[in-house]
Amino acid sequence: MAIQVSGITKQFGTFCALDSVDLEVRSGELLALLGPSGSGKTTLLRIMAGLEFADSGSLLLNGEEALSLTPRERQVGFVFQHYALFRHMSVFDNVAFGMKVRPRGQRPTSTEIKRRVMELLELVQLAHFADRYPAQLSGGQRQRVALARALAIEPKVLLLDEPFGALDAKVRKELRRWLRKLHEDIHITSVFVTHDQEEALELADRVVVMSQGRIEQVGSPAEVYDRPASAFVYEFLGQVNRFDCVVADGVARTANGALSIPADGTVRGPAIAYVRPHDLGLSPSAAGPGRVSGIHVVGPDARIEIDLAGLPLEAEMDRERLSALGLRPGDLCAVHIDRARVFPQP
Amino acid sequence: MVAATSSDTVLPNTGGTVLSVLRKPSVLPGFGLTLGFTLTYLSLIVLLPLAALVLKAAGLGWSGFWDAVLTPRVLAAFKVSFGLSLAAAAVNAVFGFIVAWVLVRYRFPGDRIVDALVDLPFALPTAVAGIALSALYAPNGWIGSLLMEWFGMKVAFTPLGIAIALTFIGLPFVVRTVQPILQDLPPEEEEAAAALGATRWQAFRRVVFPALLPALLTGFALAFARGVGEYGSVIFIAGNIPGLSEILPLLIVIKLEQYDYAGSAAVGVLMLMASFVLLLALNLLQAWMRSRHAR
Repeated sequence: MAIQVSGITKQFGTFCALDSVDLEVRSGELLALLGPSGSGKTTLLRIMAGLEFADSGSLLLNGEEALSLTPRERQVGFVFQHYALFRHMSVFDNVAFGMKVRPRGQRPTSTEIKRRVMELLELVQLAHFADRYPAQLSGGQRQRVALARALAIEPKVLLLDEPFGALDAKVRKELRRWLRKLHEDIHITSVFVTHDQEEALELADRVVVMSQGRIEQVGSPAEVYDRPASAFVYEFLGQVNRFDCVVADGVARTANGALSIPADGTVRGPAIAYVRPHDLGLSPSAAGPGRVSGIHVVGPDARIEIDLAGLPLEAEMDRERLSALGLRPGDLCAVHIDRARVFPQP
Repeated sequence: MVAATSSDTVLPNTGGTVLSVLRKPSVLPGFGLTLGFTLTYLSLIVLLPLAALVLKAAGLGWSGFWDAVLTPRVLAAFKVSFGLSLAAAAVNAVFGFIVAWVLVRYRFPGDRIVDALVDLPFALPTAVAGIALSALYAPNGWIGSLLMEWFGMKVAFTPLGIAIALTFIGLPFVVRTVQPILQDLPPEEEEAAAALGATRWQAFRRVVFPALLPALLTGFALAFARGVGEYGSVIFIAGNIPGLSEILPLLIVIKLEQYDYAGSAAVGVLMLMASFVLLLALNLLQAWMRSRHAR
């Protein structure tokens, strides 16, 4: 089922959480709402679910106006960051809840409910835990129960609010893969909120980058990473070196003249240049102008801090390449820029 | 004994003592010291006076005790005290819950004042409460005269008056036990229920209420216990007609005034036993409910 958001605005007191947001979620896709805290991503998700009320705008669920509908009429599955499982109910009863509260006429028989719950618990690999209580499960297991519970009402849309936010790194990665696979199997239109760019880029079909209640860019993970539409998107997605510069004749120069970068034609005058750490090349050079001020090894990668005439830079390469270059802290080196993006000064 | 156990917590566990069996390695220090203190304190403050009471009653002998307790007057007072305390606690459970709900869930002008009002029955001398209530509900009082006129109902100087007094003094217990739990209830659980298709009523009945039930039961038990022991407010409004509106504490005082010390102790022991059994049952019920979803 497709979701059409147009002109949604939401104000909390004087704080503008959403500023006339337009967005289309395509049927069957897995969409990420990515942004820093306070960017309005969770508010947008909660408005889609009917847990929050928009001040103005319209929301179409499958072509039908939905803003006036209650959450129960919208038939959306919602997964919370902190699971929000019913503490006093067993895993089985949690998953069965959505079916048991249906009006008498639409309620499945108890054997049908049992069959369906066990099927879902099988799907989330927790069939053995049906009689346990939420407090007896780990974080990853609880979130899978929450997912099974949301799927039990056969929702047309699945909305997930920072679903992996409360989990530790390893479990988060496993669950992420598992959710991707689940989505490939059942192809339910899904929207998830995250502030973790890696999560959004790995999991989503399309990524929506939000900032201060507005959408900055919508695109496939490769699109938003390779061709950021704004300085904000560039800075938010991954590590970045940033310098103030002035563009003239297609070349961006930093104020102290230490660095000049080829810039594309549209920008002129004061600007900001961005270079990703892995787009920064180094070579040993007795003449400088850079100096290696520190090296940090993180797993297979090395992060090299460079001091370029007072300008701090960070380069990233694999460790083998670094040892081939033979650079050590304190060495002088030359700096090449393979790829950069220049945005006009706001 | 206290000093010995406190030094035990510092020295490595040498084994052989009774406490070392109970004690598990823990970062919280002072198990021996605090347990010793707790037992000593409880013995002095609670157990010793109660033991003296039982001892006094024991002077009657087994059959003498039952003779003193199984008189029609005592049994009638027993029914009045326990029956009305249970009824008042039940009324408080319902209306105290609503008060707590409103105070936690809604903001309105003067909500702080209402919140402070709830504690007044704690602070007011019970005799003052009893006199005020009986003045209000007496056949010539503000409320009592209206009830008499419209329904022909007599409240003061009847068991109904006792129930009203007990409801008055028991209210804070329910409100103050339910309130913090309701405050800490995460809104996500209700939102989850709504998203799963539950109506407001279903979300309340299946999600909110079960989470509050243990606290509500505690409030009920406290209000009940307070009601059984209440004296000051009741004697003014009860009318104190033997066999009809006479409560056990009053009967004890009457026996004391007749120098029947052993007899009054026997009635005290009877109250003690009945209260203990009821409170224990409530506690067990609660422990069972909590154990089902304890972390």
